[in-house]
Formats: sequence, C-alpha cells, structure tokens
Amino acid sequence: MSKPSDLVQGTLDLLLLKILTLEPLNGFATSIRLKQVSGDVLQVSDGSLYPALHKLEQEGWIKAEWRPSENNRRAKFYSLTRLGRRHLEREADNWNRLSAAISQVVKMEA
Amino acid sequence: MRFEHWLYSIPLRLRSLFRRSDVEQELEEELKLHLEQKTQHYVAAGLTPGDARRSALRDMDGLELRKEECRDARRVSRLEDLIQDLRFSMRTLRKAPSFAATAVLTLALGIGANAAIFSVVNAVLLRSLPYPNSEQLFTLRSNQSLPDLEDIQKRTHSFSAIGGITVQALNFTGEGEPVQVSAGLCNADLFGALGFQTALGRVFTAEEDSYGGPALVVLTNGFWTGIFGADPAILGKTLRLSGNSYTVIGVLPREFWLPGKPVEVLASLRVVNPLAAKFRGVHFLKTYFRMRAGIPLAQANAEMQNVDQWLESQYPEEDKDFHRRLLPLRDAIVGIVRPELLVLFAAVGLVLLIACVNFASLQLARSATRQREIAIRAALGAPSGRLIRQMLTESVFLSLLGGVAGLILAGLGVRLLMTLKPAGLPRIGDTSIDAQVLGFTFAVSLLTGVVFGLVPALNTTFFGISAKLKEDARTSAGGASGHRLRKLFVVSEIAIALVLLISAGLMIRSFTILHRVDPGFRTENLLTMRVELPEARYREQPKQRQFHRELLESLNSVPGVQAALVSELPMSGDYITHNFVVEGRPRPPAGSEPEVQTRTVEGSYFRVMGIQLLAGRDFGSQDRTGSLHVAVVNRAFVAQYFPTQDPVGARVEWARSDPSDWMTIVGVVGDIKHFGPGEPEQPAVYDLYSQTAQQWKRWMYIALRGDAPPGILLSQTKQRLWAIDNQLPITQVFTMGDVLAASLDHQRFNLTLLAIFAAVALALAVVGIYGVMSYAITQRTNEIGVRVALGAQHRDVLWLILGQGLRLALLGGALGIAASLALTRYMSHLLFGISPRDPQSFIAIPIALLAVAMLACYVPARRAMRVDPIVALRYE
Repeated sequence: MSKPSDLVQGTLDLLLLKILTLEPLNGFATSIRLKQVSGDVLQVSDGSLYPALHKLEQEGWIKAEWRPSENNRRAKFYSLTRLGRRHLEREADNWNRLSAAISQVVKMEA
Repeated sequence: MRFEHWLYSIPLRLRSLFRRSDVEQELEEELKLHLEQKTQHYVAAGLTPGDARRSALRDMDGLELRKEECRDARRVSRLEDLIQDLRFSMRTLRKAPSFAATAVLTLALGIGANAAIFSVVNAVLLRSLPYPNSEQLFTLRSNQSLPDLEDIQKRTHSFSAIGGITVQALNFTGEGEPVQVSAGLCNADLFGALGFQTALGRVFTAEEDSYGGPALVVLTNGFWTGIFGADPAILGKTLRLSGNSYTVIGVLPREFWLPGKPVEVLASLRVVNPLAAKFRGVHFLKTYFRMRAGIPLAQANAEMQNVDQWLESQYPEEDKDFHRRLLPLRDAIVGIVRPELLVLFAAVGLVLLIACVNFASLQLARSATRQREIAIRAALGAPSGRLIRQMLTESVFLSLLGGVAGLILAGLGVRLLMTLKPAGLPRIGDTSIDAQVLGFTFAVSLLTGVVFGLVPALNTTFFGISAKLKEDARTSAGGASGHRLRKLFVVSEIAIALVLLISAGLMIRSFTILHRVDPGFRTENLLTMRVELPEARYREQPKQRQFHRELLESLNSVPGVQAALVSELPMSGDYITHNFVVEGRPRPPAGSEPEVQTRTVEGSYFRVMGIQLLAGRDFGSQDRTGSLHVAVVNRAFVAQYFPTQDPVGARVEWARSDPSDWMTIVGVVGDIKHFGPGEPEQPAVYDLYSQTAQQWKRWMYIALRGDAPPGILLSQTKQRLWAIDNQLPITQVFTMGDVLAASLDHQRFNLTLLAIFAAVALALAVVGIYGVMSYAITQRTNEIGVRVALGAQHRDVLWLILGQGLRLALLGGALGIAASLALTRYMSHLLFGISPRDPQSFIAIPIALLAVAMLACYVPARRAMRVDPIVALRYE
C-alpha cells in the first residue's frame, strides 16, 4: 500500500466536500471513492479522515445521519449542506485559479 | 452566513456537551464500522483475517489518538476538560474530606471576614451619597449664620443653591405624653441644594421662607409613617410644636437623609426662630452648596475665598477666622472615619492572606501525597499545562466553595457588627450584602483560588515530576522545594499574625488606659435627662428661674436623692463657648478675645456630680438672682489664664456684654472629661442659671444622684416634673455609666474587630505551624529512628524538632516585629495614651506568640519522641 501523496493544506476539505456532492456516503466509502475518482493517485489516510469529517460537520458544511448501509448495518452517512455547497463552489473556484496558475508557471518554457 | 453556520454548529456543540455519552458512543460505532469494512477490504485483497485486522488498525495510526482528534474537532474539549476536571476534583475531594473541609473552612473565615468588613466599607465609604449628582455638593468645615449665607449667595455665582440647616428639638404635644421632635430649621434653598422632591405635597417656597411668613412644616417619611401611620390625608393638617401651630404642606421621600442627627420635621428658620436667624453671630447652620454644572472647582474656590475675606473685613466681630473653604460633602461626612475603616480593612486583608497561605500550604501537603499519581500521569503523556489546569480547577473549586461559606459567615458577621453599635460611622445602617459585596467576594475567592493554587501546582509539576518516579513513595518528601515553600509559608504566617496581634494589643492597651481614665466625676448612681422649656410660655427669665427653683426643691425633697441642673452634660456632645475678658487686663481687639467653655448650672451641681472642689468655694444658697454674680472655673482655666495668680476673687465677663456683667470667680473645680475619656479638658467657666443674662438658655439637663434603681428615679422625677408643668417632654434619659460606656463605643468597635481578626490570625498561624511540623516529623521518622538507635535520648529528639520550629518562629517573629514597626504608625490616630511603638506590646506579644508556636511544635515533637527505632527502621 503506497503512502498517499501529501495533500496541499486545505485541499482535503475540498476533496471530501466534492466527493460528497454526488451522494451521501459513510467514512470508509468516502475514502474508497476518493481513491477511485482520483485514479489511485490521491488517498486520504484513515487517521486523518475522521477528524476531517468531524471538523467539516462542525463547520456546518456537511451533516451526518445514521441509516442502514448495504449490509444493513447502522452507519453514519455524511451529506453536503447548503452552506457546504456554497463553500465548495468558492473553494473550487479558488482551486481552479490556483492550479491553472501553477500549471502555467510549471509549463513555462525556459 | 454566520447565522446559518450557527444554525448547524450550535446544536452540535450543545449535543457534544450535554449528550457526551451518546456522542462518544457514536464515535466508537463509526470507527468500529470503519475498521470492519477496512478489514473486509484487506481480506478481499487476500490477507488472512488476522493480518487484515492488524493492517486496518495500523492504517488508523493510533485509534485513541484519532478519537481524541475527533473530539478536538468538536471544539468543546476545553469546556469538557473543565467539567471533567471538576468531576475529578469532586471525586478526589470526597476521598479527602478532612482536607476539603479544612481548606474550605480556612478560606471561609478569611473571605467571610473580608466580605463583612467590605460591606461596611462599601456602605460607608464607597456607595455614593443618596443625593442626585452628589459630587456637585460641597460644604464648609465651619457652621455659618443665615446672614453669612445670604451674603455668600449674593457674592458668588458658582452655586445654584445654598442650603443651611440647624437641628433643634421642639416639643410636640400630640397625644399622650409630650415628646420632643427633632426639627430641621432651614432655608428654602436647602431642598434645591440637596435635590430632593417631595413624596407628597410640596416644600416651602423662597417667598414663604421669610420673616413673619406662614407657619408651614414638611415631614420626613419616617415621622409621617411613625406618628401618622402614613396618613395620605396629612396635607393641610396642623401640628402643635412648642406652643405654635404649623400646617403640614409636604412629606419627603424615604430616601431623604441628612448627615448627623436625624431630622423628623423641617420648617423655615426665619419663621420659627426669627431672632436667631437674623443674628450674624449665631453660626449654627450646616451648609450645603450645590455647584452649578460646568463650573471649575478653582473658580468656586476663588469666589469662596473672596467672600471669606469680605466677610472678615466687613464683620470682624462675628465673622473672623472662619476659614471658609469648600469641602466635598462626601469628605466632610466620611473623611474622619476613612482612615480607621482602612486600618480595619487592611487588618482583615491580612487575615485573608494568612488564610490563603494556609490554603496553599494545605494544597502543597496534599500534592505531596499525590506526587506519584501526578508523576504517572505526566509520564503517560499528560502535558504539564493540563496537569496544572487540573490542580487549579481543584483549587478554584475549593476557593469558590470557601467564598460561598464565607458569604454565610459574612451575613452573620454583618449582624454581629450591627450589635457592636459603631455609632460614629455614618450610614453604617445601610450595610448589607449587596451586588457589590457579592462581586467583591466572588473576585476575592477566584483570585485566592488561582494565585494560591498556582504556587503548589507549579511547584508540583515543574520541580517535582522528573525525580518522583525514581524516588520511593515513602521518602518522597513532597520535594525539597515543596518543604522549603511550606517553611516559607509558616514564617510569613507568623509574621502576619504578629502584625495583627501587636495591632490588637496596642488597641487593647489603649482601651484599658481609656477605661481607667478618671472622668473627673463619679459615674455611679447618676441618672441624667434633658428638659427644654418652650419659648412660648417661658420666654421671660423669672418664669424660667421659678421653674428651676420649684423643680430642684421638689426633687431634692425626695429622700435619698440629690438633684442639680446643668446646661451641658459631660460627654453629651454639647458645648457652648464664649469669648471672655479678665478685669484689669488689656482688652484684645473685638472678636479675638480668648474662648472658654461655658456651662450654666443650678443647685449643688459639683456635689451631685462628684466634681472635686480645689480652691475657694462652691456655689451656695447665697448666690441668687440679684446678688453678686459669681463664677467657678476649672483647673484648665487656671492653668491657661491664671498660671501665677490666684484666680479666686478675680473678675471676668463675656466679651462685649451689654450692659457690663462682671462675674467674680469664687472657686476652682477639677477638670472633667467633657468631650470623652480620650479628649483633654478645655478651660471652662461655670455660671448660674439664676444669674445669667442669657434668657435663651431654656434647656437643661437634670443630674440625679440616688441609690434607687434608675427606673424608680425616673418615674419619681416624671411625677414631680409634671406636677409643675405637664406639657414638658423628658428626653435623653441615660445613666452616666451608660454615657461613659457609649463614649467608648467607637473604640470598642475597632478594638473588638481587631481582636477578633488577631485571634483568627493566631489560630490559623498555629494550625499552619502545627501542620508543617507534623509533616516534617513524618518525613523524618527514619532519621529519628536511626538517631534513637544510635543512642539519642528523648530530650535530644525533642530539641531537634523544637529547634526546627523555633528557627521558623524566630524568623517569622523578627519579620513580624519589623513589619509592625513600619505599619502601626498608621493606626496612631486610634491609640490613646501609648505610642504606636509601645515597647510593652512589642516585647510581650512576640514572646507570647513564640510560646504558642512552640506549643504547636511540642505536640508533634512528643510524637517524634515516641518513635520506636525498630518500627521506624523496619519500613526501610
């Protein structure tokens, strides 16, 4: 199991919020989904996942509810709130601008 | 945006706080499910279930740590820590009830005493005067006459109103026995100056406040309620006061208050007493100046100085040397008592300091027994900040408990203070546990808990931990630094206690000196009371004299009773002075003749009072109206004005008497303590009611000496007095013994408090030294065992321990003496007859304290003596 790439400070929040836009997921499913979506490049360690989720919940960006999972176990599902959707839009814009700028700099021919 | 954020976060935080177990359980469940899913994930990837589980756990990288991070994310951990700390404190304190009780009780004593004294300080010194914008109110140190006030009003512009009032007793013949009411005779401006509206009706106007104006009266709320049952139809009714009728036009609000003697009714001075009102020489008005808003004080002062000079130059006979300077009313009222209240406050602060030191010492001892627990927690990764916070929580918790218990004590203490009758303290009656006192108590408790919890906490965590685990629990002595700290505590406790003991000792010494002062007369079996003849029926002197004669004849005919009259009784607070001149000596300029105390008597006053006749003769039956005018002077008079000449036979008269009225001095009597046991007597001249030309002296005190109980003497007197005139109220009935005791009330109040504080301080210090010595001995059990095994005698062990205690006590004593020498001079104004460095107090009290300290060491030392070396060493 390869060590996950260090995520730029604050990007974990962005990624988690983005993952949760599609459908409510529990913690484990969120990490799997992130890995799949990023083509195995990005991975959040289990250790940072839950504190990050709890922090997002506390900020009011995601909300949690308990409901049965596939195998009928009670699981905590996180979903995006209205507040979170707005935050995500802003952060995504920021990210796009930042990454575009960084690629431009990196691609610059010497 | 913010609001929406709160909408989500507040319920979550509240839930984390109050449904902690639910939240915890959910966290547990969430992570457990994750681990199971991860394990299945690894199994699916081909690992054995055991390996899969281990890998899943490893990925989590410390399950408990992650849980703690999640809790942190919920951001109430600080508050949760506090609650947890509190719970932990309560649990551990319940296991150490004697420690908790001692700590709380110690603090309760210190905080309670402080809260009680603070509530007095608050009522007397801090609370603003009950007048609107009271900072604009000023007064003059000297009383003024009404013409003076009129001139000041005319010649200044800084004041919106200048009020003047004199309090006088009027006879009120309502129903039943005649009584006296205390009447405030004032000008109309007084109400404006003080800023009071009426509760009912109105006050008199400037037009009504004029010579020959209508006879109107304004009632205070207390009089209205007490005499008329708060009758709402009181307005327009008439009151008979000293033979005249007055119409009630208003009732003052309950808040109305005047410093000094309480007032029951108010009326215009110009209407009630036009003679005195017009007379510039009668300086009997207390003044209240209300400064206009925005006027600089310097301007008002300058104006006042100009008026003062103008009055002096214009009326040198009446208005010289009055030194009219504006004085903030507040300073005038509380200025005298401020220093002594501050002494008491400082004293009680020292008591609190000792209590706090004991508290810190107790905590230090306790933390010593918890060293291993703390060391283990530190070793398991508890940050020292967290440990300190936990100990502080416990300390603050205890100090707040102490504060609550202290408030209860303060409530009792305030009641006790009231029974001590601190008569001289203005507004003391308003003392109560109010919001300020609560705030003060809370602040003191909190500060105590933090400051005196921090010392042991820091000591334990910073200086203790590293070495602790290595040490054997039994020999860990709370750390050498801890023990050094406790010794320091004991030294400072002894020093502070000594300061308080010496202060109290000085007070006790000066009180006994005061008590032993010879008042110059015999107080036993002496009953006194006051009677005033109303002007309406007794304006002429022959009528007054007839009354005097008949009364004395009637009273003296009672078997076993001797009666006499006097215009000013010793220690009544009353006095009258006159300027006088001696025949044959050059006359000083008018207004600057020497002043003497003047007392007018009738009957065998000196014999009744037991005042010693030193030379010449007493007044006798030959001294009558129309015979040679005679006077008796006191020893102070002779010492000042006839130091080398025999006064008997010399003639004196009141300055500027018209017509000339020389009095021949026929005798010299001893000095009496007219102004209280602590005050020196002033030169005095006694003359006779039957010879004085002062027809305005219509009041008198009756002095009765008789073996019968005071109650019987009083009823006999009433019977005989009312047989002569049944309209005369009798007031101020006191035995002279009571009067003398009351004159010491003030000193007794200060003394009692200081003595209580000193006793508490001593008790706390003894507990402190006992605790430290006992502890030191348990620490040295081994060593003592070895010494005994090597042949040390009981005596040697005893001296070993006592010597250790003695060193601490001597050091504390020396510091205490030095501090006392520096501090007691601030209480010199409370002392009488001894210096604030009275050698007896400074020698005897430290020795006594040393003895008590030794006793506190002796008890644990005896325990040390009985240490069995076998037992002591077996523990090794």
